[in-house]
Amino acid sequence: MLGDIVTIVRDNWLLLLVGQFPAGPLGGLVATLILSVLSIVLAFPVGMLIALARLSKSPFLLWPSTVLVYVARGVPLLMLIFWVYFAVPLLLGNRIPGFLAMLITLVIYEGCFLSEIIRGGIVALGRGQMEAARSLGHSYMGAMAWVILPQALYNMIPSILSQFVSTIKETTLGYVINVPELTFAANQINNQLLTQPFQVFFILAIIYFIVCWSLTRVAVLIERRISNKRSGRGGTVSEATVRALTAEP
Amino acid sequence: MITFEKVNKKYGDYQALTDINAEVKRGEVVVVCGPSGSGKSTLIRTVNRLEEINSGAIHFDGRNIQAPMGRRELNRLRSHIGFVFQSFNLFPHLSTLENITLSPIKINGVKREAAREKAMALLERVGLAHKADAYPGQLSGGQQQRVAIARALAMEPPAMLFDEPTSALDPEMVGEVLAVMKSLAAEGMTMMCVTHEMGFARDVADRVWFMDAGRILEMADPETFFRAPEHPRAQRFLSDLRH
Repeated sequence: MLGDIVTIVRDNWLLLLVGQFPAGPLGGLVATLILSVLSIVLAFPVGMLIALARLSKSPFLLWPSTVLVYVARGVPLLMLIFWVYFAVPLLLGNRIPGFLAMLITLVIYEGCFLSEIIRGGIVALGRGQMEAARSLGHSYMGAMAWVILPQALYNMIPSILSQFVSTIKETTLGYVINVPELTFAANQINNQLLTQPFQVFFILAIIYFIVCWSLTRVAVLIERRISNKRSGRGGTVSEATVRALTAEP
Repeated sequence: MITFEKVNKKYGDYQALTDINAEVKRGEVVVVCGPSGSGKSTLIRTVNRLEEINSGAIHFDGRNIQAPMGRRELNRLRSHIGFVFQSFNLFPHLSTLENITLSPIKINGVKREAAREKAMALLERVGLAHKADAYPGQLSGGQQQRVAIARALAMEPPAMLFDEPTSALDPEMVGEVLAVMKSLAAEGMTMMCVTHEMGFARDVADRVWFMDAGRILEMADPETFFRAPEHPRAQRFLSDLRH
């Protein structure tokens, strides 16, 4: 059994790493990582805007953003993927590649989740910081930019990393709309071999585990550094809050 | 400098301020005292519109602060009113020096170098020049509050408001903050202070306002107020303090 696994990895490592590239589209682990990084990077500004809208007093910003967040939280990711994949062609008239559909879905979905993390980080700072900034004459956005967000975002680094780990795992769902990523590559291997599904998907699980576990370790290390720094610098968010925020896998 | 005319403020059904008529003259130091929940902090927070009032008018430096104004104008107005909080509210991600220079640079467009020089002078004045590069978390409460005063002064406000500046401090640190406030008063700064430090009121204040249940019950010079308060509520308050 271990021998089978070694053989499968030896024969197919390139497919697992980059898919059929350069003969075909880029896939495998590299595609998974590119998709994850792109979606979290693009989701971040989206999440920031949604968070600010959710904190706004204007009903025109508050209501749509709240509805969006509740929909994203209340609907399985797979449904969102189907919506984007099948709805966009209806709107635009032509199909979009699976990779793009998956990217759009993840940006919306992760944007909503990040917005809740960002909003939580802002609320956790308390009113005093905003009041102090406003009483010095800063505008609301100025206070956000110079006082609130630098603190809140710094406190949120571990949570954002955790969200990145979730994103990597969520990219596996791209398989259903034929996004050539790691799970897709594993399935291709399985279809060739036909007789060793357990071994193939065991390899797949190990790869995901190594990537996600390493990133979780990084998050823990950063979290420890932040709380050390804060005990020296006296932050405004207690360690307990940070731990609560990062408790999610 | 600061005038209140028939100021009323409600939180829902609760009347927080009732018919406040009062004036802080230029160069005057006014101490607002009274039992907790009497509306002192609410009153001082109405001056820079951290609290909005329901009726009446407040003038600051000849301007009606309740007049309709754009956000920018309100921000500008606030930048002219120095405000010191009970909980210091320094920005913990910035060094002492950056706490002081942030607002002059971002709001008034002061050049970085000029702002730093000014900030160092202010730190010198509150006795904390050696802490310029420290972060707020590394400072004691008294030091933080002195930096907060320097931060407010950096905007060159014509008047300073203090909302219980020493209430969150350990007793041994109260003196250093009061000393800074005294020196400000000696330089002729217009000051309105909510405080329980009756010693400060006696030594420094030109007027004492006594508040209870959202009203100013007595306004007197400290000498008269502490020796012979007129209002029975003030008499009771003072005798409670002595015990």
